[in-house]
Amino acid sequence: MPKGMFVDTSICTGCKACQVACKEWNALPHEPGHFRYNPVEKRPIAVNFTGNSYDNTGAMSATDWRQVRFIEQFSEDRSRARWLFSSDSCKHCNDAGCLNACPTGAIVRTDLGNVFIRQDVCIGCKYCIPSCPFGVISLSEVTGTVYKCTLCNDRIHNGLGTACAKACPTGSISFGEVAELRNAADKRLAQLKGLGYGEANIYGYKEAGGLNVFYLFLDRPQVYGQPEAVVVPQQRLPVSSAVTIAGALALGGAALVSFRERGSRENDEEVKK
Amino acid sequence: MNPEVHIPGWEWYYVATYFFIGGVAAGAYFIGTLAELFGGERHREISSTGFYIAFPLILLTPPLLIADLGRPERFWHLFFRAKGGFPFLNFQSPLSVGSWALLLFGAMAFLSFLDNLVSEGKLQSAHFAKAYSRIPRKWYAVVGSIAGFFVAGYTGVLLNVTARPIWAATDPLVGALFIASGASTGAAAIYLAMSWRKKLAYPGLPGFERFESLSKIIELILVVGVVVLAGRYAAPLMRGTIAVMFWGGTVLLGILIPLAAGWYIPRSAERRTSLANLATVMAILVLLGGALLRITLLQAGQVQ
Repeated sequence: MPKGMFVDTSICTGCKACQVACKEWNALPHEPGHFRYNPVEKRPIAVNFTGNSYDNTGAMSATDWRQVRFIEQFSEDRSRARWLFSSDSCKHCNDAGCLNACPTGAIVRTDLGNVFIRQDVCIGCKYCIPSCPFGVISLSEVTGTVYKCTLCNDRIHNGLGTACAKACPTGSISFGEVAELRNAADKRLAQLKGLGYGEANIYGYKEAGGLNVFYLFLDRPQVYGQPEAVVVPQQRLPVSSAVTIAGALALGGAALVSFRERGSRENDEEVKK
Repeated sequence: MNPEVHIPGWEWYYVATYFFIGGVAAGAYFIGTLAELFGGERHREISSTGFYIAFPLILLTPPLLIADLGRPERFWHLFFRAKGGFPFLNFQSPLSVGSWALLLFGAMAFLSFLDNLVSEGKLQSAHFAKAYSRIPRKWYAVVGSIAGFFVAGYTGVLLNVTARPIWAATDPLVGALFIASGASTGAAAIYLAMSWRKKLAYPGLPGFERFESLSKIIELILVVGVVVLAGRYAAPLMRGTIAVMFWGGTVLLGILIPLAAGWYIPRSAERRTSLANLATVMAILVLLGGALLRITLLQAGQVQ
């Protein structure tokens, strides 16, 4: 039975405990500091801020497997405001673009349904990076291989939940069987709809064959930086290949008319002479 | 399509250079085979030149590809499982299938290269000469040209089958475009090699020039198609250095001007000799355009 996570963004407070827990459990290195001493002005200056609300990572990377997104929304006259949070990570897609693209079998799906990169197999070809429709997987310049969330592969195979879910103080991230999580998500969605959150929606039932890590959003997925029409790149492979073969046949046809027709006509001319 | 899709960070001087050289080698090889299959002995000169340049060129490419890996010493994982050593092939991954195709193409290009040396008497060995007549050269030339088409085209499919906006938007035309460019640059390389070997005065040249023009026309149509498909994601091709390289280099210098010159250079043998320098310059421009095509399409997908 696949394990996964349900991220109920409606009760996320943006505390980033999940981000910290992820870094700690997976022993991920720290990011560059936010202040640097400026010897000319003789005082520290602020660097490496994203300038986007409280978002301190800006994207997922080889050392940031979790990104807490902050979305500031204001009405036209700025009299009303809403601050949305969403803790984002690898979605462990059932039809995973990165896994499909991997030419070495370094990216595998385990018996618990999570997509896992075998670090000792990865060659760093980087093809999985643009193959992920969600911008999750990233290259580490240090090891020359790619990294992403493993769904805490070591923990979940030893009866524990993921570190982020364990650390979440509001229950926004819950870990468990995907089928059970979906039941809980449906109930929560119905409750929110009843409370008047008309835009609330669940993201991840249909996308990329179903996401094992899925979300409840209060606004359109695009607002949270998620693609709305997810196309797993390999779905386009048959048509792309067919058109390329047609191109090859067109060139073959061009060769046929050039080399054969031309030749025979010249033969005729030579015969006439 | 999600603009947040990460950039792979392929270095153009490795990857685009491979796309280009691989395309020239594959193009030269399949032109050589097709000329021999369709034109017979008349086009022997083209096929032998094609076979002579395909193998040395394709030999240059694996180091480029391996150099771009994060872990170059593990490149063999592309072919064999790291654990167990069984052969590995992932049919959903153009990179995986392409690696095998490149290996197969290299082997066929090597055989054809060897075959050329023997048939022109540059490589002589009594043992080999006995076996030589029994080698099914047409058969491996056909396999090699199919592998050649694959090597020329899969690089485009590889770009199309990703989620980067401009590569995904131009799906499914880049594979065909790269094959057409492989044909035009392969023909240009054959022309240059033939003029260097002073083998231009042969009866099949008009047919060859016609193929050159046709491949450029197909390439031009596909370039237009790619830009139209890219739509609003074409922005990287429309600004800065990439725009100059793409529109000025690939389209104008690499396709339009050589195409015009192909009409201008007359068919009669005497005047062609006087215009040989022009034709040489055009062949160099075609090669330049082909290289810029790979660089611009690779880099257009790798800008924010």
